[in-house]
Amino acid sequence: MSDYLQDEENFTSQKFDWLVWKKIFMFMKPLKKTAILGLLAVMVLAITDIIYPYISAFAIDDIIRPNIDSTVVDFSKLPLLITYFVIFMIVQATMVYLFIIYAGRIQNELAFSIREKAFNHLQELPFSYYDRTRVGWIMARMTSDSRNLSEVLSWGLIDLVWGVFLMVFLTIFMFIINWQLAIVILAVVPILTAVSIFFRKYILKAYRSIRKVNSKITGAFNEDITGAVTTKTLVLEEQNYHEFDILTSDMRKQSIRAHLIQAVFFPTMLFIIFIGMALVYNVGGNMVITGAISVGTLYLFTNYVWQFFDPVNNIANFYARFQQAQASAERIVSLIETEPDIVDKEEVIAKYGTIFEYKRENFEPLIGKVEFKNVSFKYNVGETVLTDFNLKVKAGQSVALVGHTGAGKTTIVNLISRFYEPTAGEILVDDVDYRERSIGWLHSNLGYVLQTPHLFSGSVMENIRYGNLKATDEEVIEAAKAVEAHSFIMKFEDGYNTECGEGGSRLSVGQKQLVSFARAILADPKILILDEATSSVDTETEQLIQTAINKLLKGRTSFIVAHRLSTIVHSDLILVLDGGQIIESGTHRELIKKKEAYYKLYTNQYSEEMLELSKR
Amino acid sequence: MEDIKKIDKPKRNILKHLWLMFKWMGKHSLLLIPALGSLLIVSYLRTLTPLFGQHIIDVILGDGESKLPVYLTDLIKADTLPKQLLLAALLILLLSFIRALFIFVERGISGLFAEKTAYKLRNNLYKKLRDADYYFQSHSETGDIIQRCTTDVEMYKRFISEQSIEVARLVLLVGFSIYQMSRLNITIMWVSLIIAPILLISAALYFNKVEKMFTEIEKNEAQMTTHVQENVSGARVVKAFANEAYEVEKFRNLNRKYTDSDLRLVKKMAFFWSSTDFLSFIQFFIIAIIGIIYASKEIISIGVYTAFLAYAGNIIWPMRQLGRLVGDFSKTVVSISRLDHIMSNPGEYVGEENKLEPEIKGNVEFKNVSFKFADSKEDQITDISFEAKQGETVAIIGKTGSGKSTLMNLLIRLLDYQKGQILIDGVEIKDIEKHYLRRNVGVILQEPFLFSKSVEENIKISDSTSDLNKVSSVAKIAQVHNDIMNFEKGYQTLVGERGVTLSGGQKQRVAIARMLLKPKPILVFDDSLSAVDTETDIQIRRALQQEWKNSTVFIITHRITTASEADRILVIENGQIKESGKHQDLINRDGLYKNIWAIQSQINFQIEEDGE
Repeated sequence: MSDYLQDEENFTSQKFDWLVWKKIFMFMKPLKKTAILGLLAVMVLAITDIIYPYISAFAIDDIIRPNIDSTVVDFSKLPLLITYFVIFMIVQATMVYLFIIYAGRIQNELAFSIREKAFNHLQELPFSYYDRTRVGWIMARMTSDSRNLSEVLSWGLIDLVWGVFLMVFLTIFMFIINWQLAIVILAVVPILTAVSIFFRKYILKAYRSIRKVNSKITGAFNEDITGAVTTKTLVLEEQNYHEFDILTSDMRKQSIRAHLIQAVFFPTMLFIIFIGMALVYNVGGNMVITGAISVGTLYLFTNYVWQFFDPVNNIANFYARFQQAQASAERIVSLIETEPDIVDKEEVIAKYGTIFEYKRENFEPLIGKVEFKNVSFKYNVGETVLTDFNLKVKAGQSVALVGHTGAGKTTIVNLISRFYEPTAGEILVDDVDYRERSIGWLHSNLGYVLQTPHLFSGSVMENIRYGNLKATDEEVIEAAKAVEAHSFIMKFEDGYNTECGEGGSRLSVGQKQLVSFARAILADPKILILDEATSSVDTETEQLIQTAINKLLKGRTSFIVAHRLSTIVHSDLILVLDGGQIIESGTHRELIKKKEAYYKLYTNQYSEEMLELSKR
Repeated sequence: MEDIKKIDKPKRNILKHLWLMFKWMGKHSLLLIPALGSLLIVSYLRTLTPLFGQHIIDVILGDGESKLPVYLTDLIKADTLPKQLLLAALLILLLSFIRALFIFVERGISGLFAEKTAYKLRNNLYKKLRDADYYFQSHSETGDIIQRCTTDVEMYKRFISEQSIEVARLVLLVGFSIYQMSRLNITIMWVSLIIAPILLISAALYFNKVEKMFTEIEKNEAQMTTHVQENVSGARVVKAFANEAYEVEKFRNLNRKYTDSDLRLVKKMAFFWSSTDFLSFIQFFIIAIIGIIYASKEIISIGVYTAFLAYAGNIIWPMRQLGRLVGDFSKTVVSISRLDHIMSNPGEYVGEENKLEPEIKGNVEFKNVSFKFADSKEDQITDISFEAKQGETVAIIGKTGSGKSTLMNLLIRLLDYQKGQILIDGVEIKDIEKHYLRRNVGVILQEPFLFSKSVEENIKISDSTSDLNKVSSVAKIAQVHNDIMNFEKGYQTLVGERGVTLSGGQKQRVAIARMLLKPKPILVFDDSLSAVDTETDIQIRRALQQEWKNSTVFIITHRITTASEADRILVIENGQIKESGKHQDLINRDGLYKNIWAIQSQINFQIEEDGE
């Protein structure tokens, strides 16, 4: 939340950015027809708004007054008036209907296509993008920014156009009827506009700072709840409350200020309108006395003073919101135009297809031999993680990576998955630099089990099937059985149709792990990446997971960021990493004999696991 | 779980909630009096405006009688017509100025009222959450509670300050308009009320129905954003399984579904606004026709006719608004009941005020203590008895869920035992004031919470008077000083949500440093060295033994090496003490502890075997 607000500041520029809007208007292109129809509707609406008071003026001057002056009451013009009125009502209602429909359509379709484009682009972006971009930032682009922008470009723009049309037509119309009174009214309009814009900007600014405090308060509530036990044990109640009070006091101060600005704004506008009104009554009244205009015309002009109120406000509102919208537009464009830094070469795409459309027929079968050849790597920011790294792994071998945090385990795994590419050297898969084949080729032969398993909302069935979208129900169940997940799934009331909840929240940690194993085994990958979980699960599940892992690894080249003793002990090759270097390698037996780094790690780290084992 | 269900279905006890609504305002509700008073004046002045038109048209420009109140017509009297016009215009200005002034007063005061009330409510909510007992906290979902404290407060605030005032404003406006019309012509007054009820009812029905559509739209939007969220946070999985095309397809469907549901609402909206516009114009139309006929027959004057058109507007346009406010009220009732769930919680400090504050040295005794959670049938802790003398170290060992942590929660009264006694220096802890007790018993949690402040501030939190020297000296004891110095900004590094994410071990060590700043007679390590490696663990404990010789220390641990050095070891299983004694005693006795010990030696044994 707080990042989002900071970003909002970063992007707020004052100048009109033509380039950005040009890009945004590309999204409007398919909606051109709707936009034109919508604008036509509000144009007609602006005209009916002007005509409405005119009907009454017509009644006063052409029906009522002649009748008062003559002795016979004559209603012959009444049918004409009724006709006018009925036409007016029908046109008015229809235009209101159409204008809402069109504006609503533009808003929704525009937001739809912005979101679609952004989401598709997100899929093309490499993993490094997700590593350095916060989820919240992306979410804000997809939700509030696209909404903001589409609202301004639909309702905002249409309101603006209506306001402008109304003011222009009104001005012309007033000049046609009586230019002196027209000038009187028009003298007030610029003041009205200036005042309105002035206040709108202040109000917007006030609300922005309120939102900022508000997000701080939300954060404070969050700390209040999640840190409750800590607060109690340290007896920090009064101290924390005092800090919270500073925030809420600030909120109160800022909000009251915003209220006061608004409390001044509306009455000021009203008073200006009344100045116009008083002027019209005074000037126009005198004109009625001299016979220059009729009473009906006077009535008409007192109504027209009011008619400037809404359009002026609309224009001021648009003006104030435009800056915000431009900031949203800039952020959306910046997302859409982020260049992916890991892409297939053109000739590779030509042969193997894009990430959305594979040419599977050209995929060579992957055997599973992996080799690092003088690989160096550094992340965009930060130090070099790997230098001149060499490693040869035979097809079907299981490799356990052990070492402290920051030793380079995750980096190696990221490189094998081609989430990142080496900055120097090359990685060969089946003796070919993997950049000569497509990302799709590698990924459709890759299985990945995360340390904290990531499940999607949806049923258990759908989650397992994510490993192979073409799998039948039977195949899914088969996979679940293979990793011992079947029995716990069947214990759920809805079996495989059980909803996992957002992020799999309805499943326990252990269950999530088993489901993610099933997913991986269903994908039947040639290369498997397993980032083992550190979190402890109950003994029973622990045993299931152990058996499942053994099955999972069978017959695949696998790289394991290992935390479990038994997994490490059973792997074909253990690499002890430190500072991006392999400091020891070999089997468990060999390394224990050496009594060096691995031995030390082993005795320190895994004594706790011994305790767990002892309970069985 | 039970609580969450109760939350979802708020009881719609309107009277109770109305009472709560006023209760939370407290003395601020007095501000409503000047606000409503101003509103009364504003509304009255507003209904005078059409009468000025009437006066000018009928009296100054015609030869009829004025419908303005006499006290106002007196002010416009003058010998020539232009002078009368000028006076009328000036009076309009004067009255509109007064009206503007009162609008300002009304809005300013109601804003003041709203913010003061909301301020008080927010602070009270904070205190309630802070003081809520362990049970409430462990049974609440953070996201849900935060939603209540923000969105629901906002809803409540808007209702008391804007929506309810809006209702008052509309009712007053309609009332005064009807009053003025009755002074002009009774028949047309009745006629102008024909459509109003229809508008009111159809608006209320419409907004009620639309509410359901909103729920559906929100649901669809949530599904869509969840998909994005999961896609982004699961980017590794998406890419590793090469499912980009599938993701795009799925998103397109959800995006479409959301857009379509919103478009359905747009259609409903378009129909509602255009048809009610049409209805409103029918009302105008009827008044206009009758007005024209009456005016032609000179039953009413032209000025009165124009006034009627204005009053009709005053009545018709607010009706849809009023209909919407009816819907808002029911939403507010839901918010109030959601807030009440927090506000009605008494908290754990009720009745603590006059309890004892004895000197605490550190002799702790558990006497046949049993405890069970309110919502469970079985005891969590059964008949626990042991003693710890001042300066002793007691290790508690046992597997997850055995009740080790509960034991310590009882000691600082996060939970209260049902049977037995816990005595500190002979005083039962239930008689000791909670804050005082916790100030003397320091607990370091397994997953300590760090506040989003700098590392220095986080450590200083337990004693704000200490300087950086003192802070770094405790950080050294806790073996976290070097880690901190490795951060770019050292002790000024921000941690928590907005700053650096510390590893579990670093957090634990910062929490230890934080606790060490102020000496405490009793200290509890609730598995708070679990994420620290064995060597560091040993170093920390060595340092502690020197610095805190006189404190009684409880160490909950998984590590046998840690436990072995304690003066007494308690082995807990299923809420009971299974074994107790010194390390040497326990390894000579059959049991869990000996087993663990054996396995530990086995590692060495295995290594030797491998080595041969």
